[in-house]
Amino acid sequence: MSLLELKGVTKFFGKLAAVDDIDLDVQKGEVLGICGPNGSGKTTLINVISGYYKPNRGAIYLEGKKISGLRPDQVAARGIARTFQANMCFHRATVLQNMFVGSFLQYKTNEWQAFFETKTYKERRKTIVAKVMDILELLNLARDANVPAVDLPHGHQRIFGIAMALMTNPSLLLLDEPTTGMNHGEATLVVEQIRKINERGITVILIEHNMKVLLDLATRAVVLNFGTKIAEGKPREVMKKQDVIAAYLGTETV
Amino acid sequence: MKLGNYKKLLPKIVVGLVIALIFIIPVFTTSLVTLSKFIVIGFWAIAAMGFMLIMRTGQISLGQAAFMGLGGYTSAVLMIKLGWPFWPGFLLAGIVAGVVALAVGVVAVRAGPIAFSIITLALAEIMRILAVEWEPVTNGIKGLVVTPPFPIYLDYYFILILVTITALVFWQIDRGRLGSLFRVIAVNPTLAESEGIPLTKYKVIAFTIAAVFTGFAGSFYAHFLGVMSPYMFGLWQSIQALMMGIVGGISSLVAGPIIGSVILNTLNDLLSRLPIYSIKPTLFGAIVLLVLLFLPKGTGLIDLWRMFWNKVFREKSVTVASPN
Repeated sequence: MSLLELKGVTKFFGKLAAVDDIDLDVQKGEVLGICGPNGSGKTTLINVISGYYKPNRGAIYLEGKKISGLRPDQVAARGIARTFQANMCFHRATVLQNMFVGSFLQYKTNEWQAFFETKTYKERRKTIVAKVMDILELLNLARDANVPAVDLPHGHQRIFGIAMALMTNPSLLLLDEPTTGMNHGEATLVVEQIRKINERGITVILIEHNMKVLLDLATRAVVLNFGTKIAEGKPREVMKKQDVIAAYLGTETV
Repeated sequence: MKLGNYKKLLPKIVVGLVIALIFIIPVFTTSLVTLSKFIVIGFWAIAAMGFMLIMRTGQISLGQAAFMGLGGYTSAVLMIKLGWPFWPGFLLAGIVAGVVALAVGVVAVRAGPIAFSIITLALAEIMRILAVEWEPVTNGIKGLVVTPPFPIYLDYYFILILVTITALVFWQIDRGRLGSLFRVIAVNPTLAESEGIPLTKYKVIAFTIAAVFTGFAGSFYAHFLGVMSPYMFGLWQSIQALMMGIVGGISSLVAGPIIGSVILNTLNDLLSRLPIYSIKPTLFGAIVLLVLLFLPKGTGLIDLWRMFWNKVFREKSVTVASPN
């Protein structure tokens, strides 16, 4: 069964359809790469899936249950986590403090228990520390645990974004250009880390401009242009298609 | 070594003495005028703390007077019209203020930060007009005259305990899970939502908690003054809660508002002796502007005090006004 299903999803900004009638099936366990030139609707698509935008038409299903129309926090609670194109963190808090905030969904505690700091609340907090350290070690961020997140170098901040997303215990992870602004070495590390995440059974949708990263990771690729899907299939084959090349480089007509 | 110990102990002794002194003031003086000044400071400290709690979630309430009025009128009406004793009316005052905040908050909070300010402002005005026009219940502009239930020195301890409880509750909120969620919502709502934190829920929680305590304070204040009239909660009262919070410093939820209340109420007192009454709001506004101009980034008097404190006693640098 497919994990995520998009049926005729359309999102308008004014009269412009940023995402136009998109059908998409995401299988459990795969890494789906989404690429396309700037302004082709990739980020809009992620915003629609994660609930930041409401689709004007169409519907989105997670494991057969409709999730379009839900708020972002509700979508996150259903098991879809996302990262952002910009580096995001809670100002001045350390990496560890940030991650604790991210644990919100994992210890659904009663506010009263938290207020009075009951035993159960404290014990749950301990299990969260273990979870946080597990994720930080998976992503090689453990050394930065007590550094204010804003002070991390750019590359680490991108990875920190993924770590924050993982704190919600997702079944599906949406990565919005995880390697922007990274050099080749850093990007290779991220590829390794995303692969490790995928090996834990988390399905990944990856938006990426860096073709090498996309070809290394994606088991399947979708190409968008002007909000519509122009190609879908095995990454290497998709890249060879004429209209994909045309979308990226333009046609030969003079 | 010995000197170091003294340095550590001295601040605690000073704070302890100040608190002890506050508690035994009625032993030295039972003068109505003197004790009233402290009671007014206590009332405004609670109102300002409420304002700051809402501000923690990134929203500016311009209608805190609505909850003072709701609290005051609830218990005054129950006492005068239905003959209730003070205590049940007092408890209900907080509950009524909380319920109204919950109902209005659910709508106001979703409208965005600027609309939130406008809606809370409108709420306070609606409440005031209601108090003027709904004569059979509120006695209109004549107001309700209640007999103060306690002698003045008990009033003093009443507000002292109310401020202490409010301060402890808010302090516990601020350092715990709720406090960090409030801050996170204000600092980066987009990221907070992606982590599964429902923004509306926590903004409404902050708004409601603030309203409950402001309602209690309003109820007490009406009974202390012995009168509840529409003049007691207008825009100026809402703005005063805001100013005390700002002047105290936005980094602090408890100490800041208390200091803000002490400073501005003392100033209010001094200015009242001036022959020209109308100059007061102008000077108040000027002070807030000065604070905003010369202590930007929300640094308030509490931060200046902390800097001084650390310089003298700890010689440790402090980060000023950091939200976390």
